[in-house]
Amino acid sequence: MSLRVPTEQSFSSPLHHPRVATVIGRWLGVAVAVCFLTGLFSHLQQSGPGWLFIPTRPASLYRVTQGLHVLSGTMAVPLLLAKLWTVYPKLFARPPWPPSRKAAGMIVERLSILVLVSALALELFTGFLNTLQWYPWPFPFRQTHYALAWIIVGALLVHLAIKFPLITSHWRGTAADREASQGTGLSRRSMFRAVAGAGALVGIASVGQSAPVLGSIAVLAPRKPGIGPQGLPVNRTARDAGVTAVDADWRLTVRGPKQLEYSLDELRALPQNRSALPIACVEGWSQGARWEGVRIRDLLALCGAPMSSRVRVISMEQDGFYTTSELPPQFAADPLTLLALRLNGSDLDLDHGFPARIIAPNRPGVLQTKWVHRLEVLP
Amino acid sequence: MAVCGVACGLWGLWLLLHSLSTDALIRLPLWLGGAVLVDDFLLIPLAIGAGWLLTRWTTVRATLLYVGVTTLIAIPLLLRQGKGVNPTVLSRNYLRDWLVLEATIVLVGVLALVIRLRRADGSAGSSHRRDEQP
Repeated sequence: MSLRVPTEQSFSSPLHHPRVATVIGRWLGVAVAVCFLTGLFSHLQQSGPGWLFIPTRPASLYRVTQGLHVLSGTMAVPLLLAKLWTVYPKLFARPPWPPSRKAAGMIVERLSILVLVSALALELFTGFLNTLQWYPWPFPFRQTHYALAWIIVGALLVHLAIKFPLITSHWRGTAADREASQGTGLSRRSMFRAVAGAGALVGIASVGQSAPVLGSIAVLAPRKPGIGPQGLPVNRTARDAGVTAVDADWRLTVRGPKQLEYSLDELRALPQNRSALPIACVEGWSQGARWEGVRIRDLLALCGAPMSSRVRVISMEQDGFYTTSELPPQFAADPLTLLALRLNGSDLDLDHGFPARIIAPNRPGVLQTKWVHRLEVLP
Repeated sequence: MAVCGVACGLWGLWLLLHSLSTDALIRLPLWLGGAVLVDDFLLIPLAIGAGWLLTRWTTVRATLLYVGVTTLIAIPLLLRQGKGVNPTVLSRNYLRDWLVLEATIVLVGVLALVIRLRRADGSAGSSHRRDEQP
């Protein structure tokens, strides 16, 4: 027996067919589109460009979009593998010889696919590992993940443009989809069913980190709802943030037209309000919670600032990307936005930001700044 | 569409060039290449090989696909078990959960296979079916 490099004809299964590639490509395309758009939303939330107005409602919008982001990315794993399996024989197709326009076109197409496959595979890999907070690679996660997303979308559009005639001619089902092929294994239909089943399976086994109803069967998710101090998971602990015990001389400073200072007891004596809002992490997990504290807009009124002011929130956190955050005016004015002192019926745990943290609707968890000790009204 | 695609791609490239250090920029293509190699020369050949060995039995192939895909996703979780940055990350017993998950998939697969075989027997009588599709 001799080992040869396979050719396009070495793969006998009738499932390596443009119709199969079109159908699975459609699914993968939907997953990539959902993942890209939700990811873009998350990026815009975090980078907060001045021209963009982000509404404060629905309060759980970010929870849903970011849950979908991680879910669609995870479900794209079996879809990508199935797609690569289907078109695998093409990898061994040789460009025509001698060189011609056709050969050049094929090489360009191959290069676009190389960009698409490498970027998409690495994107899914880094994205999933990020949800575990595991970073074994030598490049920064956030910037690379964002840039690769644009490269993927670009390469995908080029790919669709090149394949447009093939896609349109195989868009609709054919008789071969309905008939079971004779003696050669999976019919197209059973393959579609198996691939959709694989996507659904990994989805069901991981969505529980964002939908606590399914939390107990989320065996492929890095987070389990209900685990953590006060029944809520934590992303950055007080120790990671360099915040040790908070002593009695802690003061909250509010700097606006008037400068105010409150001890914790004085804050507790201000009118308290309740909000039921989720913590929705960029890593996809989320969980609803009951918060209690002082409305930001009440604090703004007390210091003589208009209700709709941009507010800079400053944490006692020692270092990291999120030692400060900014509340755009619509978030500061929202009645649900609190400087929270209590969570689920008791004082905040140190890991949840004791003595005071921000909680606002429709915002990524990283912007719900913990261990707040200073609020500044921005002009 | 192709022009839009090229524009998006170049924008992504520009973002990369502006946000990554030279060192990271040199190593990133190695990781990209690695991702292709793993897909094209490990995962897909594995799938093709397994499919080729079990070419006739669709239920077995689907079950194997489910086991393979869930295991692939479970690998990082299993590797990092107990190494979460804090106790609320990776708090499950992933080894146990993975074993239970795979056992469930195999069990359901076997049940589906038995049901299909019975049905096939019922409809084909005692005649031997060349294109048996359990």
